[in-house]
Amino acid sequence: MLNRNNLYFIRRKVTNHIMLSLTFLSVVLTVLPLLLIFYYTVTKGLTSLNLDFFIAMPKPVGEAGGGMANAIVGTLILIGIGGAIGLPVGIMSGTYLAEFGNNKFGNVVRFLADVLSGIPSIVVGVVAYTIVVLPMHHFSAFAGGVSLAILMIPTITRTTEEMIRLVPHSYREAGLALGIPKWKTSLVIILRSAWKGIATGVLLAFARAAGETAPLLFTALGNRFWSTKIFQPIASLTVYIYDYAKSPFTEWNDQAWTASLILIALISLISLLFKFLTRSKY
Amino acid sequence: MERIFDVYLEKLKTRLIKMSSLVEDQVDLAVKSFEEENDEFAKLVLERENKVNKYDRKIGKTCQKIIALNQPVAMDLRLIISALTINTNLERVGDLARNIALRQPKLKPKPFFYENTKIHEMISIAKEMLHNSIDAFNNEDSELAKEVVKKDSELDVLFVENKELLIDFMKSNAEEIEKSVELLEICRHLERLGDQATNIAEDVIFIVDAKLIKHKYQKYIYDDIDNDESDEE
Amino acid sequence: MENDVIINQTDSINKISEDKNRGKTIIDVMNLSAYFGKTKVLKEISLSIPKNKVVAIIGPSGCGKSTFLRSINRMHEVVGGTITGEIFLDGNNIMKFDPVLLRRKVGMVFQKPNPFPTMSIFNNVVAGLRLNGVRNKNKLTEVVEQSLKQVALWDEVKDSLNESGADISGGQQQRLCIARAIAIKPEVILMDEPASALDPISTAKIEELIHYLKEEYTIVIVTHNMQQAARVSDMTAFLYMGELVEFGPTAKIFTNPSVKKTEDYITGRFG
Repeated sequence: MLNRNNLYFIRRKVTNHIMLSLTFLSVVLTVLPLLLIFYYTVTKGLTSLNLDFFIAMPKPVGEAGGGMANAIVGTLILIGIGGAIGLPVGIMSGTYLAEFGNNKFGNVVRFLADVLSGIPSIVVGVVAYTIVVLPMHHFSAFAGGVSLAILMIPTITRTTEEMIRLVPHSYREAGLALGIPKWKTSLVIILRSAWKGIATGVLLAFARAAGETAPLLFTALGNRFWSTKIFQPIASLTVYIYDYAKSPFTEWNDQAWTASLILIALISLISLLFKFLTRSKY
Repeated sequence: MERIFDVYLEKLKTRLIKMSSLVEDQVDLAVKSFEEENDEFAKLVLERENKVNKYDRKIGKTCQKIIALNQPVAMDLRLIISALTINTNLERVGDLARNIALRQPKLKPKPFFYENTKIHEMISIAKEMLHNSIDAFNNEDSELAKEVVKKDSELDVLFVENKELLIDFMKSNAEEIEKSVELLEICRHLERLGDQATNIAEDVIFIVDAKLIKHKYQKYIYDDIDNDESDEE
Repeated sequence: MENDVIINQTDSINKISEDKNRGKTIIDVMNLSAYFGKTKVLKEISLSIPKNKVVAIIGPSGCGKSTFLRSINRMHEVVGGTITGEIFLDGNNIMKFDPVLLRRKVGMVFQKPNPFPTMSIFNNVVAGLRLNGVRNKNKLTEVVEQSLKQVALWDEVKDSLNESGADISGGQQQRLCIARAIAIKPEVILMDEPASALDPISTAKIEELIHYLKEEYTIVIVTHNMQQAARVSDMTAFLYMGELVEFGPTAKIFTNPSVKKTEDYITGRFG
């Protein structure tokens, strides 16, 4: 058995090598699309990238140059509105689930949140269209924000709940034993201890919302002009990418690539921000 | 670090010191009672004997409590173990004072040869030893305690001399034999008193220097105390 | 009587901490039973806790010591327990109190030091006050200094009050937790094995602290360390399998207990 030329030993060694190679192959397959995305967006996006892109308005078809200042600001406003709605609702409901949700109602809410996070974003867009756009009779940044909020809420809720559950029970007891009411203990002491983890979830939700196109088509619509009005249609990077990429004009196609580059940079920035915020955790 | 435990130890020490001064007083009175043929003194000694015993019980209980509740170690443990034995020794000194007081009526009037005996020296040495041993405990003075230990042999020698003197007297004065025996007994009590004082002194050395000098280590310690006077037993 | 002598001894030794409240009880427990689900963990316990004394609860693991302690400020409810019987605080049934108000009168210190990690030392001490609405900065500063001095922590942390409460040593953290508990001026402090996670020096400091704190507060301490119970307490209760086996002056329990089971337990002859 101890002989290194033993058949059993050789077979085991070969199997080992095969399995190792397979896992390595999987890693390559995982990284490859990412590299390709980076390669294309960077090489193609850089061609039209200049200062104008950030500060100028889109030019009509056929005119060279122009930028997407309205879309960049529009995306920021949209995720701002989404966050303003989704953040408090998500965090509060997550807190509720963690602290008071050990019952049937909590289980139902948890299940619904999981379902909601799995619903295709286009469906969310249709729903937002029905409940916001139709009653208000026009597309608006607000409607876009609502649809993004609906997409963010389940992620934030579930992350908040998980993070709060990770806070040692002893802090909760310490708060209660000091005669601090339960809701205050949860909100001030527990949430504060869990905020780093929650921030991770929140930023992931933001990143996802920033990249959504489908729900915005029905809600924020898009706008070729400068607008920061909440109840008016508003431009967004994703919608511009959608419009420009499928257009027959080369300049627009190029600008779509640049917009993609900016969007990826924005999302990377958000990811870096959360890495920065959670860096001192361990 | 300040310790609550020290408060208990201090209380115990104070109580022991109070007991020791009472016992010393008992010895003084008992000796005076036959020296000055004073019945009142003897009576007082017998009355106060109860008080000594009460101290003895109290200190015993206190030590028991401190050991049970505070699990003393090292210096603290030595102090408490010694407090227990010192307590016993003091109680016995109290008994000796009572024994002396009990013999007082039988020595009235004192026999004519009383002044010729060395009983005065014995009294002063025994009292000094007792006093010094208590002082040594009070001030944690192991040097003074060593002196007490040294002094004991002097007292032993005096006792032997006194015994011989008294036997001589008895031989020539048959009618005074009873009183001579009483006197001899008192000498024996004084000698025992010296022994108890020595025990206390040894405990003080144990507390302060952590040396157990009784029995087994006797030779070593005696050498240590007195290198040039090794003619002792 | 032998026992009387010992009891007298205790009194005389404890005279340092005695005051006019001597003999008054602050907590009266009557026929207390506690349940977790259907399991009965405490069985008809009755005892009275005198004011300004330290009462130790001892007993083997799982005997219900912690449950007993927690039921005094209704922290058992947090972990899902129920009780029957009555507990009176200053003559008032605690089940009629709002638990939040009750816990301001009956503070608690836990086994593992648990200062709030996201708060500074200063904010940890005043957490109870601040979250109950005290905003006056001068008052808070005063309370911080006073509380930290009471737990002998002031000199060690006075220059780092704004640093995290989790960055000091375990022993200091536990004293910080005691400071946090006394900052809201409770009448009773419950301690659930407050030194079991600490090194011997920190333990000794906590024990000293308990001696000083009893001048102002009544302390009930659960400990699995019998020597600790002996050192810090005036009265000791021995619980076994949810029953109160013996309750009496600590000096008596540890020198001459009345019940054989107590004697077997404290001498380590159990089982």
